[in-house]
Amino acid sequence: MDDDSTPPPPANDAPAPPPPALNSGSPTDFLKGVVGKRVVVRLTSGVDYRGVLSCLDGYMNIALEQTEEHVNGRVINRYGDAFIRGNNVLYISAAEAI
Amino acid sequence: ELIDRCIGSKIWVIMKNDREFTGTLLGFDDFVNMVLEDVTEFETTPQGKKTTKLNQTLLNGNNICMLIPGSDGPDQ
Repeated sequence: MDDDSTPPPPANDAPAPPPPALNSGSPTDFLKGVVGKRVVVRLTSGVDYRGVLSCLDGYMNIALEQTEEHVNGRVINRYGDAFIRGNNVLYISAAEAI
Repeated sequence: ELIDRCIGSKIWVIMKNDREFTGTLLGFDDFVNMVLEDVTEFETTPQGKKTTKLNQTLLNGNNICMLIPGSDGPDQ
Protein backbone atom coordinates (compact mmCIF):
# COMPACT_ATOMS: atom_id res chain seq x y z
CA MET A 1 0.00 0.00 0.00
CA ASP A 2 1.66 3.14 -1.19
CA ASP A 3 0.42 6.21 0.58
CA ASP A 4 2.00 9.31 -0.87
CA SER A 5 -0.92 11.59 -0.14
CA THR A 6 0.65 13.06 2.96
CA PRO A 7 3.85 14.95 2.26
CA PRO A 8 6.68 14.37 4.69
CA PRO A 9 6.70 16.89 7.51
CA PRO A 10 9.08 19.78 6.85
CA ALA A 11 12.31 19.78 8.78
CA ASN A 12 11.60 21.84 11.82
CA ASP A 13 14.55 23.88 13.00
CA ALA A 14 12.40 26.12 15.15
CA PRO A 15 13.29 26.06 18.84
CA ALA A 16 10.85 24.78 21.44
CA PRO A 17 7.75 26.91 21.92
CA PRO A 18 8.26 29.83 24.29
CA PRO A 19 7.58 29.10 27.94
CA PRO A 20 4.12 30.06 29.18
CA ALA A 21 3.65 33.54 30.59
CA LEU A 22 4.92 33.80 34.15
CA ASN A 23 1.53 34.88 35.40
CA SER A 24 -0.11 31.66 34.40
CA GLY A 25 2.57 29.34 35.72
CA SER A 26 4.56 30.62 38.61
CA PRO A 27 3.23 28.58 41.52
CA THR A 28 2.88 25.51 39.30
CA ASP A 29 6.36 26.05 37.90
CA PHE A 30 7.70 26.41 41.41
CA LEU A 31 5.99 23.21 42.47
CA LYS A 32 7.35 21.28 39.50
CA GLY A 33 10.83 22.56 40.22
CA VAL A 34 10.83 21.84 43.91
CA VAL A 35 9.73 18.20 43.84
CA GLY A 36 12.57 16.01 45.03
CA LYS A 37 14.29 18.84 46.87
CA ARG A 38 14.55 19.53 50.55
CA VAL A 39 11.82 21.92 51.64
CA VAL A 40 10.53 23.63 54.73
CA VAL A 41 6.78 23.44 55.11
CA ARG A 42 5.30 25.75 57.72
CA LEU A 43 1.76 25.29 58.87
CA THR A 44 -0.55 28.02 60.08
CA SER A 45 0.00 26.60 63.56
CA GLY A 46 3.67 27.61 63.33
CA VAL A 47 5.04 24.07 63.25
CA ASP A 48 7.84 23.44 60.74
CA TYR A 49 8.39 20.28 58.76
CA ARG A 50 11.68 19.81 56.96
CA GLY A 51 12.05 16.99 54.51
CA VAL A 52 12.38 15.90 50.92
CA LEU A 53 9.32 16.71 48.88
CA SER A 54 7.91 13.54 47.35
CA CYS A 55 4.89 15.04 45.71
CA LEU A 56 2.12 17.52 46.12
CA ASP A 57 -1.09 18.54 44.45
CA GLY A 58 -3.09 21.64 43.64
CA TYR A 59 -4.56 21.77 47.13
CA MET A 60 -1.06 21.99 48.61
CA ASN A 61 -1.45 18.51 50.08
CA ILE A 62 2.14 17.40 50.57
CA ALA A 63 3.98 14.11 50.85
CA LEU A 64 7.40 14.35 52.47
CA GLU A 65 10.20 11.89 53.13
CA GLN A 66 12.79 11.97 55.91
CA THR A 67 10.74 14.55 57.77
CA GLU A 68 11.73 16.41 60.89
CA GLU A 69 9.12 18.23 62.92
CA HIS A 70 10.37 21.50 64.40
CA VAL A 71 8.56 23.40 67.11
CA ASN A 72 10.14 26.54 68.52
CA GLY A 73 13.30 25.68 66.62
CA ARG A 74 13.69 22.29 68.25
CA VAL A 75 13.30 18.95 66.52
CA ILE A 76 10.61 17.07 68.33
CA ASN A 77 9.85 14.22 65.93
CA ARG A 78 11.09 12.38 62.90
CA TYR A 79 8.98 10.59 60.35
CA GLY A 80 9.99 8.36 57.45
CA ASP A 81 6.99 9.47 55.45
CA ALA A 82 4.64 12.31 56.20
CA PHE A 83 1.44 13.50 54.59
CA ILE A 84 0.27 17.03 55.25
CA ARG A 85 -3.21 18.24 54.39
CA GLY A 86 -2.98 21.34 52.25
CA ASN A 87 -5.45 23.52 54.08
CA ASN A 88 -3.01 23.80 56.99
CA VAL A 89 -0.05 24.90 54.91
CA LEU A 90 1.20 28.45 55.36
CA TYR A 91 4.16 28.19 53.01
CA ILE A 92 6.47 25.82 51.19
CA SER A 93 10.04 27.05 51.01
CA ALA A 94 12.98 25.49 49.20
CA ALA A 95 15.68 24.60 51.68
CA GLU A 96 18.17 24.10 48.87
CA ALA A 97 18.68 25.95 45.62
CA ILE A 98 16.34 24.88 42.85
CA GLU B 1 -3.18 43.22 36.64
CA LEU B 2 -2.26 45.34 39.64
CA ILE B 3 -0.25 42.48 41.06
CA ASP B 4 1.22 41.84 37.61
CA ARG B 5 2.98 45.18 37.78
CA CYS B 6 4.77 44.08 40.93
CA ILE B 7 6.38 41.01 39.41
CA GLY B 8 10.13 41.37 39.67
CA SER B 9 10.10 43.94 42.41
CA LYS B 10 10.05 43.86 46.18
CA ILE B 11 6.74 43.31 47.88
CA TRP B 12 5.56 43.26 51.47
CA VAL B 13 2.89 40.68 52.25
CA ILE B 14 0.84 40.94 55.42
CA MET B 15 -1.06 37.87 56.60
CA LYS B 16 -4.24 37.69 58.61
CA ASN B 17 -2.42 36.50 61.71
CA ASP B 18 0.37 38.92 62.81
CA ARG B 19 2.85 37.54 60.31
CA GLU B 20 4.54 39.36 57.44
CA PHE B 21 6.81 38.45 54.56
CA THR B 22 9.00 40.55 52.32
CA GLY B 23 10.69 39.40 49.17
CA THR B 24 10.91 39.68 45.41
CA LEU B 25 7.71 38.67 43.67
CA LEU B 26 8.31 35.96 41.10
CA GLY B 27 4.70 35.18 40.33
CA PHE B 28 1.24 34.36 41.53
CA ASP B 29 -1.92 32.56 40.49
CA ASP B 30 -5.68 33.09 40.50
CA PHE B 31 -5.91 32.32 44.22
CA VAL B 32 -3.14 34.84 44.94
CA ASN B 33 -0.81 32.11 46.11
CA MET B 34 2.51 33.90 45.70
CA VAL B 35 6.00 32.77 44.76
CA LEU B 36 8.64 34.95 46.43
CA GLU B 37 12.42 34.92 46.47
CA ASP B 38 14.91 36.05 49.12
CA VAL B 39 12.14 36.03 51.65
CA THR B 40 12.23 37.40 55.18
CA GLU B 41 9.53 36.28 57.55
CA PHE B 42 8.47 38.58 60.38
CA GLU B 43 6.42 37.51 63.34
CA THR B 44 5.02 40.66 64.89
CA THR B 45 3.83 39.23 68.17
CA PRO B 46 7.20 38.63 69.86
CA GLN B 47 8.24 42.16 68.77
CA GLY B 48 10.58 41.79 65.85
CA LYS B 49 11.40 38.09 65.70
CA LYS B 50 12.73 37.31 62.24
CA THR B 51 13.45 34.23 60.17
CA THR B 52 15.23 34.62 56.86
CA LYS B 53 14.59 32.06 54.16
CA LEU B 54 16.44 32.27 50.89
CA ASN B 55 15.68 30.51 47.61
CA GLN B 56 12.07 30.42 46.65
CA THR B 57 8.94 30.23 48.72
CA LEU B 58 5.35 29.52 47.79
CA LEU B 59 3.07 31.45 50.11
CA ASN B 60 -0.44 30.12 50.57
CA GLY B 61 -2.93 32.76 49.45
CA ASN B 62 -5.47 31.55 51.99
CA ASN B 63 -3.90 33.60 54.76
CA ILE B 64 -2.77 36.63 52.80
CA CYS B 65 -4.45 39.86 53.85
CA MET B 66 -2.58 42.74 52.26
CA LEU B 67 0.06 43.41 49.61
CA ILE B 68 2.32 46.46 49.63
CA PRO B 69 4.50 46.72 46.56
CA GLY B 70 7.94 48.25 46.52
CA SER B 71 8.41 48.12 50.29
CA ASP B 72 11.13 46.65 52.48
CA GLY B 73 8.63 45.71 55.14
CA PRO B 74 7.97 46.69 58.74
CA ASP B 75 11.57 47.82 59.21
CA GLN B 76 11.15 50.69 56.78
